[in-house]
Amino acid sequence: MPVSAQTEQATGRTAVSRLARPFVAIPVVWRRQILIWLVLFAALLFPLYHNNDADIDAMANAAAYATLALGLNIVVGFAGLLDLGYAAFFAIGAYAYGVLSSFQLEPPWSPFWAPFQYLGLVAQIPGDGNAMVVHFTLSFWLALPFAAALAAGCGVAFGLPTLRLRGDYLAIVTLGFGEIVPIVVRNWSDLTNGAAGLNGVAAPHLFGWSFGVNATPYYYVSIALVALLVFVSTRLRDSRIGRAWMAIREDEIAAGAMGVNRTNYKLLAFAIGAAFAGMTGVFYVAKLQTATPEMFGFPVSVMILVMIVFGGIGSIWGAVVGAFVLQLLQSWWLEDLTGWLNSLGVLIGNNWLAHIDLVPSIELIFGIILVFMMLFRRQGLIPAYKPSEALTFEQQSAQVRLGGFEDLKLSGLGGDVRTGALALEIRGVTVKFGGLVALNAVDIDVPSGGVVAVIGPNGSGKSTLFNAITALVPADGGSIRFHGEEILGLPDYQILHKGIARTFQNIRLFPNLTVLQNLLIGEHARLRTGPFSAVIRPPGTRAEEKAATTWAMEILSIFGNRLVPRANQAVSGLSYANRRRTEIARALASRPRLLLLDEPTAGMNPAETLELAGQIRGLKKLGLTVLLIEHKLDVVTTLADTVYVLDHGEVIAQGRPDEVRRNEEVLRAYLGRNVQAAHAGEAVGAANVA
Amino acid sequence: MTFSDLLLQQTINGLSLGAMYALLALGFTLVYGILELINFAHFNVFMIGSFVAMFTLQSFGLSGQSVVLTGLPLVGVLVAAFIVTMLFSGGLGVVIERLSLRPLRNVKGPAAMITTIGVSYILFNIVLLTVGADSKNFPNPLPPIKFQIRGAVLDMRVLLIWVVAVVLMAGLWAFVQRSKMGKAMRATAQDAEAARMMGVEVDKVIIMAFFLGSALAGAGGMIFGLYYNFTSFIIGFTAGLRAFTAAVLGGIGNVPGAMVGGVIIGLVEAYAGQFIAAAWADVIIFSILVLVLVFKPAGLFGRMAPSKS
Amino acid sequence: MITRRIAGQLLAATAAVAVANKVGGASAEQVVKVGINLPLTGADAESAVRIQHAIQLAFEDANASDAVPGFRFEAVSFDDGTATAGQYDPAQAATNARKMVSDPQIVAAVGPQMSGSGKAMSPILSEGDLAIITPSSTNPDITNPKFASQYRPAGKAIYFRTVTTDAFQGPNMANYMADNLHIKTIYILDDSGAYGVGIADAFQQQIGKKGVKVLGRDRLDPKAADYNAVLTKIKSLNPDAIYYGGVGQAGVKLAKQAYDIMPKVIKAGGDGVMSPELLTAAGFPAAQGWYATQAAPHVAGDNKAAQFVAHYKGKYGQSPDDYSITAYDAGLVIVDAAKRLVAEKKQINKSNMRDAIQTAKVPTIQGTVMFDENGDIKDRTVSVYQVNKDMTKPLDDVSAQYNYIGVAPQS
Repeated sequence: MPVSAQTEQATGRTAVSRLARPFVAIPVVWRRQILIWLVLFAALLFPLYHNNDADIDAMANAAAYATLALGLNIVVGFAGLLDLGYAAFFAIGAYAYGVLSSFQLEPPWSPFWAPFQYLGLVAQIPGDGNAMVVHFTLSFWLALPFAAALAAGCGVAFGLPTLRLRGDYLAIVTLGFGEIVPIVVRNWSDLTNGAAGLNGVAAPHLFGWSFGVNATPYYYVSIALVALLVFVSTRLRDSRIGRAWMAIREDEIAAGAMGVNRTNYKLLAFAIGAAFAGMTGVFYVAKLQTATPEMFGFPVSVMILVMIVFGGIGSIWGAVVGAFVLQLLQSWWLEDLTGWLNSLGVLIGNNWLAHIDLVPSIELIFGIILVFMMLFRRQGLIPAYKPSEALTFEQQSAQVRLGGFEDLKLSGLGGDVRTGALALEIRGVTVKFGGLVALNAVDIDVPSGGVVAVIGPNGSGKSTLFNAITALVPADGGSIRFHGEEILGLPDYQILHKGIARTFQNIRLFPNLTVLQNLLIGEHARLRTGPFSAVIRPPGTRAEEKAATTWAMEILSIFGNRLVPRANQAVSGLSYANRRRTEIARALASRPRLLLLDEPTAGMNPAETLELAGQIRGLKKLGLTVLLIEHKLDVVTTLADTVYVLDHGEVIAQGRPDEVRRNEEVLRAYLGRNVQAAHAGEAVGAANVA
Repeated sequence: MTFSDLLLQQTINGLSLGAMYALLALGFTLVYGILELINFAHFNVFMIGSFVAMFTLQSFGLSGQSVVLTGLPLVGVLVAAFIVTMLFSGGLGVVIERLSLRPLRNVKGPAAMITTIGVSYILFNIVLLTVGADSKNFPNPLPPIKFQIRGAVLDMRVLLIWVVAVVLMAGLWAFVQRSKMGKAMRATAQDAEAARMMGVEVDKVIIMAFFLGSALAGAGGMIFGLYYNFTSFIIGFTAGLRAFTAAVLGGIGNVPGAMVGGVIIGLVEAYAGQFIAAAWADVIIFSILVLVLVFKPAGLFGRMAPSKS
Repeated sequence: MITRRIAGQLLAATAAVAVANKVGGASAEQVVKVGINLPLTGADAESAVRIQHAIQLAFEDANASDAVPGFRFEAVSFDDGTATAGQYDPAQAATNARKMVSDPQIVAAVGPQMSGSGKAMSPILSEGDLAIITPSSTNPDITNPKFASQYRPAGKAIYFRTVTTDAFQGPNMANYMADNLHIKTIYILDDSGAYGVGIADAFQQQIGKKGVKVLGRDRLDPKAADYNAVLTKIKSLNPDAIYYGGVGQAGVKLAKQAYDIMPKVIKAGGDGVMSPELLTAAGFPAAQGWYATQAAPHVAGDNKAAQFVAHYKGKYGQSPDDYSITAYDAGLVIVDAAKRLVAEKKQINKSNMRDAIQTAKVPTIQGTVMFDENGDIKDRTVSVYQVNKDMTKPLDDVSAQYNYIGVAPQS
């Protein structure tokens, strides 16, 4: 299975490569690379063939905004956290360098500063009067990582209390933060020189040569920053980290259930986004050699957001292109365009055209762009997701081949089975929603290696039981032990780490991601890659990614040829049954010891139901323990060793399937409900029981 | 001026501000309650409301501070101006919903919110490019009557703000609680799908929410003009942001919460100006917002409807 | 130069030029391009446009009167306001400075409106040896010799001002309020902007030295509407006066609300409150009694300013503000510099223009403009005005509604 080639193909067909039609003969994998190198080459040569200092400067400003857009893209595009105060981190980076490289702070000299002087961070200069004072001379190159770290730290400090807020609340809180930072900068004038703006920020030096006011060296630094951040963004996106972010963005609850520590990953996105902005701030203030609080207000945050929306939310090259187009539009092209229109007006004698000035309408134009993009091209100029490639006719019409377990290794699935030991031991678990008791002192045993089914009428508390086990709802009492270890009270992502994976009654996949990506997110807890190795990609990480993909494809092959050809399709386009299968596969990808299946065959036709039942039996043979919620009693009968019947939150019966089927209380619970339900015209569960 | 008089005066100041924020906050909350959408266009519907009110009053021959009306003419002119302003702003809200938000009704994610930011930019710049950037003298037909309460002064205009705000909010509350449309709105806020199945015309409910919210914003804009005797293209942002903070503080989607939140923010602003410094007012307001959300994520009074995540 | 002489000649000159153009043809004239850098979009657009009009007017008048025979002035506008910043954007100002420097036809510049932009532009202009004359940016840092290596790395002054810096206007007014108005206590406000904070800081420093008790200092958010809280607090402190450093945006609201809350307290500001906006948007009675200063001598009996106002209004249909006058004067300085270069048979280029501007001695609306070696205007006279409603004149006419009181004492 040439998986890597397929994933390359998956990311390769975007608007950019559409421009590259002439290259059609070139292998798909290379087209994108060639284009990127061409763009980079053109960018490097730009100052040579376009020898205009002002335009080079405008390009450098645009590049600075591109780096900001890349940072916000990580926060908004990857992790789905709406940040409306992003410019605050830009300000923090800018002022960090501005203050530490200018004459703003001049504390009296003391021996304390001597080691810093040795390191070249400060200098001793005569101040007002005769006393010596400290002059901060932080180098631009040191300031870049320093400001990045400082901004990231501020991002974490601000994010810790606020990131658990729901999206819209987060938006407004970040907006508030974005308002606060410039106010603090303005009012704290001892540190920042307030509204008057910083004086004498040092220009960067390289090997003793000062950049001065020549735009070209700044331009090259900015291009290098963009290249670096594009690289970092791409590496992060295509890694365990990026997948975790996208999982959070697509479905927070499912992400938690798949072992993603949401708080940590949100903080990480916030911190990395802030770090990008902090670095950009250093560059920006070094180029301008001044900074005022007005440079970092709400309009800046909104404009960066507009850039990524315009380019395509979540799309790395989209962020870059969006920033360049919008920034150059206002600083360069709109003036030219006005000039051309005016000349055209003079030429054709149109007075209105001869005097039109587009420049003052720039904000209006941006507003219109924003609305039109949202209404007519939400995916932006360069969409982050290509439409799934259609299956070939052969693939579509291929005869269904059921999966089997004979030729599968599936090493490590299920873990060691000690017969007789209890995998899951639920004792006296109670869950209340306000006054409603959803589960009342429920006791359930799941033996290791067994299949236990939970049945009961709608609203009897079955899904609540699953939610209590996986920590989606807090229990009001009781104990849940997993292989002897208490798991009640653990956060949701820890449950998966322990080895319990689940599916959801109403399917909670990550809809914009592919089948394969969904499975890789399932493996999240079993992989080790951190942000640094994701970027650097050492051999260990490469091997891990390769193994992860191999494992995911193995899991997919459980379902024969139903999912394997669709591995690189977005799950939102799959059939209902295939989405159910994908969700089970995603749970299996996490190498669980206990699998919780919530109505796995719901919505499947009898043939598909039978097929899935067979596959679940296969899993059991491999030693996987399964806890199952199911309405279809024939499925329960064929699969389960033990059946628990829930009604009104209590266990009313338990035993072997055939015993339970004859239990009078069970019949009353089902049929009694059905008799009443029949009057209300609702006969959903009846067929299944009968 | 004794300390207690000072406190009383600042409380009067804060309550006037709060009444205005509350009117604006109601618009945010109505729309959010039903669509879960932060409507940034609301900021500038408020701003445009104040301009519509200004032009309406000017069309009655009022300009600047020169003409003072009393008795029936005053009431007549004010009521007429309020009706025109509210109808215009309400209509503007409906147009915004119809043209830019309805096509995005079923789109997940921030698309709709970003659209409202775009609409907000458009409204803002249309006003800027047509009427100009300088502040405008808003007509003030109210007689300069001041009541002395111990050391504090209560201006006639303050009373007007309070009366109008209370009448409008009480009217809204009665509408939401009593009328059929109000019930439909509450049902839609709880569960739009279920409401649709029970025969509620969700489109109508949403249009109604936009109309009412925008009309209240327009009324807020007119009150703003009458109170401060000035308006400008820029008034929407700060007032809107504080009003939105008020809505979140009270529990967004929650109508009484928006009113209480507005009053709290108004009082905080006034007391901050007195006891700390006006320079830090925004910092204090947003810090309170963060603290409240951290400890009570659903706001002081909680959401009216359960989250539809 | 709209003196009486020129104004009188205006009509005749226009006709003459029109004839000359027809005879000699436009191609015979050399173009002197002057760059204008102002935030023409965003929050400051309104006052920026007032400045822009004044500069254009200066050159149109010069062209019409054929002030420099054989040369025609052309103003090229650059916008340093961006949608990204929502107002003036120093980054865009720096780009514009580069545009001006790299255009060989641009030999002088006017602007910027804001000191923040000036700080970003100044080093670039210094390297390009392009002189810029600001009609309104008053932050003293840019021309402060202490920061010379930063703001004029090439050495020579390039940042000239037809307006005095905060370092004089604030302190002189402080002297005036202490010595002439005999205030004992004061409360100081600013509007968060660079100009407002700067002038209020300088005022505060000096008024403290004069033994006046500063009861407090606070900062208004120009975008907020309600200053009642801080004004109530000020009222309870019962000061003799309040001083406001800032421009019209917050000033209008402040004037209105301060009038409601404490109508009798003395209120004063800098040149930022000497604007038609205060008269129209705050209006009477709120504006009545406000003190304002102007960083130029008032010439008694001379109605140059009134003529300028009438001329400007006739052309653009709006009232000029104080910075329109300094902007027009900046234009006059440039025209004069070019004229002298032509007289001396020197080439009109960036360096020569800079040198000529440095040695300017030009009669303007605000008096004779000369610059010191840092580029600051030499005449540091600060005139004090007070709003006094004159029903016989248009209520938005600054020259009619602001009464000249006297010169503020220098420190």
